[in-house]
Amino acid sequence: MKFLKPVNPKAHQVDAAMELDKESDGHLEEVVAMQSVVGCTSTTDPGWEVDAFGGVAGLCQPMESDLYGCADPCWWPAQVPDVMNTYPDWDKGADSAGNDWRKLGEVFPADK
Amino acid sequence: MSLNTIITVLISASLTLMSSMSYAEQPDYMVVVNRPNNLHVINLATETIDRTCELPGDSAPGTVAMSPDKLTAYVLAGRFGKIWGIDVRNCDLTFSTDLSNGNIRVKSIASLAVSSDGEEVFTVHNPVRIMNDHYEVLDTQFAVYKADAGLQAKPVRTYPVPRQINIIQTADDGLVYLSGPDVYSIEPKTGKIETVIPSRTANRPGFSQPDILTVWPIGRVSDEFIRMYSIAKFDESGDPDKAEYFWGFEQVILSTGKTNVTEFAPLEDVLFTGMHRPGKPNEFYGVLTQLKRFDVNSQKVIKSIDLERTYYCINFSTDGSKLYLAGTYNDIAVYDAETLKKLGNIVLPGGDMSMSTSQVFSSPKELSNAKK
Repeated sequence: MKFLKPVNPKAHQVDAAMELDKESDGHLEEVVAMQSVVGCTSTTDPGWEVDAFGGVAGLCQPMESDLYGCADPCWWPAQVPDVMNTYPDWDKGADSAGNDWRKLGEVFPADK
Repeated sequence: MSLNTIITVLISASLTLMSSMSYAEQPDYMVVVNRPNNLHVINLATETIDRTCELPGDSAPGTVAMSPDKLTAYVLAGRFGKIWGIDVRNCDLTFSTDLSNGNIRVKSIASLAVSSDGEEVFTVHNPVRIMNDHYEVLDTQFAVYKADAGLQAKPVRTYPVPRQINIIQTADDGLVYLSGPDVYSIEPKTGKIETVIPSRTANRPGFSQPDILTVWPIGRVSDEFIRMYSIAKFDESGDPDKAEYFWGFEQVILSTGKTNVTEFAPLEDVLFTGMHRPGKPNEFYGVLTQLKRFDVNSQKVIKSIDLERTYYCINFSTDGSKLYLAGTYNDIAVYDAETLKKLGNIVLPGGDMSMSTSQVFSSPKELSNAKK
């Protein structure tokens, strides 16, 4: 946090937690890599990514063929709901992404 | 011609005939999974589906590992959190485990293998303890299950392994190879782990770190644990704009444990899976939206074709004559491995295969003779 300055209450809380942590066991110092939590969101907007060469020719064709392959593992290009954990039924009844993509909608947190 | 010679010729001819009959009686089969919860058992000689088994839950990711006797297909599915064992002769569910337990949620990223004696099933646990106000990431474990543990199987042994493990595969000597930041071997009886191919930790002067993507444990028909990498080769200036980019493979020969790290072609197209042609160690094939055949020694593309659509997962017939492209949608494209001429499609009932792994094997008679 050497070069970052908190400007809102949430950021202040992060800063305070770091300071508090230094005084205790330093547990927060360790950044633990997780494998597959990045990428799943609450909206549906796949197909915007670029390929390894900065173009689009290397992307899967058609885009729908790649949709579940990216959605299932929460792969980064797929702006889709978290079907691995939170919304496993997002694609229920839409077994073929190429034919059924119109059935795929947005999701909203359920009331607890 | 002496009598002995005639007898020898006759015996030899008989053996050849028996051998060819035996081959004819044992066609290649494929097992592959698609949405919503189908496991297909496909006779590749006739390109027909013998049976479609119903999995007890969602198919994703659909990672398949066959038992050594090829009679049980183990499937990592249930949104990366369950393993099911299916008897491919009759679709009976013989093994089931939910990796999660209580408030500890466990996922496995395409990590599934069976011991060389068929008695144990292996996966890698990536556990997270879910608390009211935070998640606690727990240590990654290599987990061993008894194959005969039934429908509520629990791990009998766990061993710590590095994070970020994806595909795993058992070698002929029983060692299990793990694809992670490096390639490791683990002794499943003791948990002893060794780095067999440094990858992220490799220090190759003039080269970048390799970049690797794999969630497909293919390679059994070509006797290899295989994953591809892309890599930059720099000139003396180290300028990325002047770098050459290559495809390479990291390979463990399953029958010997010998390892290879080799650049085999210039990086021209994105590829997701690749493997050697069975019996042809100098020929490597890769697929995504193109299907490419490479000459490894000369680092040249022998042939490249544009596919009608993208396929993730390549595999070969056991004799190396045919290619089967699977994954993404619900049809398997069949190609001649020599010419890359398309031979047809096997259309699966149901939806997308997505990232499922197709496994090809020479069928035992118990499978090919099983009642349809």
